[in-house]
Amino acid sequence: MMKSSSFTRATLSLSSILSLRPKPGRVAFCSAAKPKPQTPLYLRPPEFRATLSDLRKWHIWAKTEACNFSAVDGGAESSLLRRELRWLVEDAVEQPGLVWEEMNEEGGREVAMRACLEELYEMWKERIEERRPFQYVVGCEHWRDLILSVEEGVLIPRPETEVIVDLVDAAVKADEELRDGYWADLGTGSGALAIAVARVLGGGGGGGGRVAAVDLSPIAVAVASYNVERYNLQERICVRLGSWFDPLEDLRGELSGLVSNPPYIPSDDIDGLQAEVSRHEPRLALDGGPNGMDDLIHLCNGAASMLKPRAFFAFETNGEMQSKFLVDYMDTKMKGSFCRLNIISDFAGIQRFVTGYRSA
Amino acid sequence: MRVFSSQAAAEASTSDGLTVEGIIANNWVIYDENESDWKSHAAAIAQSIHLIKKRLRWKELIPKLEMLSEELNKEDLWDDPSHAGKISREHGSIMGKIKAANAFEQELFEHIDMIKLAREENDTELESESMNALLALRRNIKEKELEALLAGEHDPCPCFIEVQAGAGGTESMDWASMVMQMYKKWAESRHFGVAVVEEIAGEMAGIKRATIRVDGDYAYGYAKAEVGAHRLVRISPFDSNKRRHTSFASVAVIPILGDGFSHVQINESDLKIERFRAGGAGGQHVNTTESAVRITHIPTGVTASCQNERSQHQNKASAMSVLQSRVDQLEMQRQAQKNAEHTQSLTDINFGSQIRSYVLHPYRMVKDHRTDYEVSDPDSVLEGDLDGFILSYLSASLDKNEDD
Repeated sequence: MMKSSSFTRATLSLSSILSLRPKPGRVAFCSAAKPKPQTPLYLRPPEFRATLSDLRKWHIWAKTEACNFSAVDGGAESSLLRRELRWLVEDAVEQPGLVWEEMNEEGGREVAMRACLEELYEMWKERIEERRPFQYVVGCEHWRDLILSVEEGVLIPRPETEVIVDLVDAAVKADEELRDGYWADLGTGSGALAIAVARVLGGGGGGGGRVAAVDLSPIAVAVASYNVERYNLQERICVRLGSWFDPLEDLRGELSGLVSNPPYIPSDDIDGLQAEVSRHEPRLALDGGPNGMDDLIHLCNGAASMLKPRAFFAFETNGEMQSKFLVDYMDTKMKGSFCRLNIISDFAGIQRFVTGYRSA
Repeated sequence: MRVFSSQAAAEASTSDGLTVEGIIANNWVIYDENESDWKSHAAAIAQSIHLIKKRLRWKELIPKLEMLSEELNKEDLWDDPSHAGKISREHGSIMGKIKAANAFEQELFEHIDMIKLAREENDTELESESMNALLALRRNIKEKELEALLAGEHDPCPCFIEVQAGAGGTESMDWASMVMQMYKKWAESRHFGVAVVEEIAGEMAGIKRATIRVDGDYAYGYAKAEVGAHRLVRISPFDSNKRRHTSFASVAVIPILGDGFSHVQINESDLKIERFRAGGAGGQHVNTTESAVRITHIPTGVTASCQNERSQHQNKASAMSVLQSRVDQLEMQRQAQKNAEHTQSLTDINFGSQIRSYVLHPYRMVKDHRTDYEVSDPDSVLEGDLDGFILSYLSASLDKNEDD
C-alpha cells in the first residue's frame, strides 16, 4: 500500500523537502500540504445514542466473531480480541462503567456514544475481516503513560520501544548536563519517543531540554504535531519534515542526545509478517533495505558529526545480529567516534537496543 | 501545647440509676422490632452495646488509650513522623470508638427517661415520639454492631481478591469464574469499586486465575472472611455423561496498604520482569495489543502479573502494586508469627482449607464449614448475596478470640 503512494524515501529526500525546511525552532511542516489528523474515538464528542439492548446485540455479535476467530500468522487470537472488544466499548461509550453494569439487564435505556452503532459494526468487521490493527480502529495507542493518536500511515508504537525512554532517563540521571540540551528523535512516527523523552528531560525540575522530532512522512508529521499539542509540549518539541538528519543542519555538532526506532526489517521479510503489520502499517516505517541495516548505518554515520562530545544515543534494532553488527561497525569503521557502547535486551530477552556516547 | 487525654468514661445511667449492665441483668424479653415495648427495645440496644464493647475489647481499650495519650504528649514524638502518624491515627480511632459507644449509651438513657416522664405526665405524643426514637436507635445500633466487627488494623483498606481454579480442567475453571462473578456482584452490591487486574481465561470456558481490585470502606475487612477453598458439587454441563462433579476454587484476599502504613522496600534489582507478547521476533515485526507483564520478587519468590491494561507500562505498574501488596502481606504474616496474639487468626488464613460448600445437586444448599451458617438458595449466594456468610464468620471468629 505504501509502495504505491507518492512518499518513498528516494523521491522525497532532498528535492522538494529541503526548500520547505523552515527556520529552526518552529513547528515545521508546510501548511499547504498539512494533512488533517484524525481524532481518536475516545476524544470524539458523545453525540450518538443507542439503546442498551441494541448495544448488547452488537456486543454479543462482536464477541461471537471474536471467539470464532483464529489467525494462522500469529496475529489476532480470540482472547486478545475479546479484550480489545472491551477497550472498544470503553472508548466508544460515554460512561462505560455504567454500561458494563447494565449490559446484562433488560431495558431500553439509551446510552451516549462517540460513534453510531453502524460504525461500531463496521469497525469490528474491519478489525476481524480485514485485520485492521485495533489501534487504527480506535485511533489511539496506549504507550507508557501516554495515549497517542495513531492512524494509517503512522507506525503504531511498540511496547519494546518504551524501554528507550528508561534508557534516556538513566542517562540524564547519570549526567544532568544532558538534560538541558537539544535532543532528536529521528523517524518519530506518532511522536511517541519525542514526547516521552521531552517529559523525561523536563522531569528534573527547572527548564529541561528540547526535542526535534523528524519524520519523512507528512502524515506522521501531522499526527506527531497533534500528539505534541495534546500533551502541551509545543514549546519543547519541534516537529520537522524531512529525511533523518537533513532538517537538523542547524544543530550539527550540537545534539545532546539522539533516539531512533528506524525501519529495520529486511525487505523480503515484510510480506510474511502478520496481516495487521504487513497489510496496514506503513512500509516506510518498517523496511530497512535488503538486510534491514540501511537506515541504522545511515544513523551511525550521521551521529558522528551531529552529536556533541559526550552526547548519548539509543537505537532500536531487529535483535542480536543487527545490534552486534552495529556495535562492531562503530568500533571498527568509525573508530574513535563513539564510546561506552552497550547492547541492551528488551523484556523478551532479545538484544534490542544499542546505546553509547559520542567520544569526548 | 496540645494535651491528649484519655477521658475514661464514667459509668452512665438513667435518672433512676438504670445502667446497661442493669438492663441486661433484668433479662427483659426481646420482642420483634414491631412490638412497641420500650423494655424490649432497651434490652436489644443494651445487648448491642455490650457486644460492641466486647468486640472493641473495651477493658483493654482504656489503658491502651492512656498509653497512646502519654506517647502523643512526648516532646520528641514528631522526630519520627511515620511513627507519630501511626500513633495519632490509632489514638484518634480509639477515641472515636469510645465516644461512639458512650453516645449510644447516653442516647438510650435519654429515651428511657423521656418515656418514663411522658407516662407520668400522660403525654401520649411525647411517649410515641420517644418510642420511635428508641426504635430508630435499635436499628442503627444493629448496623454499628456489625461495623464493630471490623476493628483490625488493615480492615479499612481496599484489597485484591484472587480466585484460582483447582485441579479438574474445564469444570473447575468454570467454577472459578462463577466464584469471581460472585465477588464482583457482591462488591457492586456494596457499592465498592471493582477493577479486573488480571484474568487468565481457560481454554474452553471459565478462568484459570483472576484478580480483581476492590475499593471501598472496609473492603479488606469484609473480604478477608472469604479466604480459603470453595467447593462446588453439581452435574457438570461439560460432562456429556451428566455425572456429578466436585470442584474447587481457592480464594486469596490481600489488603492494599495506604501511604500511612509501612511498606516493604522493593529494590528494582531484586525484580525479574518478564513480558509476554505473541510473536517471537517482537519489535516492528509484531503488532498485538498483548502486553502482559509478570514480575518476580527474587528474594521472596513472590510473583504478580497483569495483562489487562492497554500498555506495557500500565501493566507493569499494575503488577507492581499487586506485588507490593503480596510482599507486604508476607511480611505481615512473618510479623504475626512472631506475635503470639495473632497465631489464632493466622491458622484461619490457610488458603488450602475448605471453608464453604456449594451444592447444586442432589440437593441445593450453601454451607459454611467454619460457622455452620447455611442457605438453601445457592443462586442468591452466587449472585453475590454473601453478607450473611461474611458477618457470621466475622462475629464467630472475633468471639472466639475474645474467649481465648
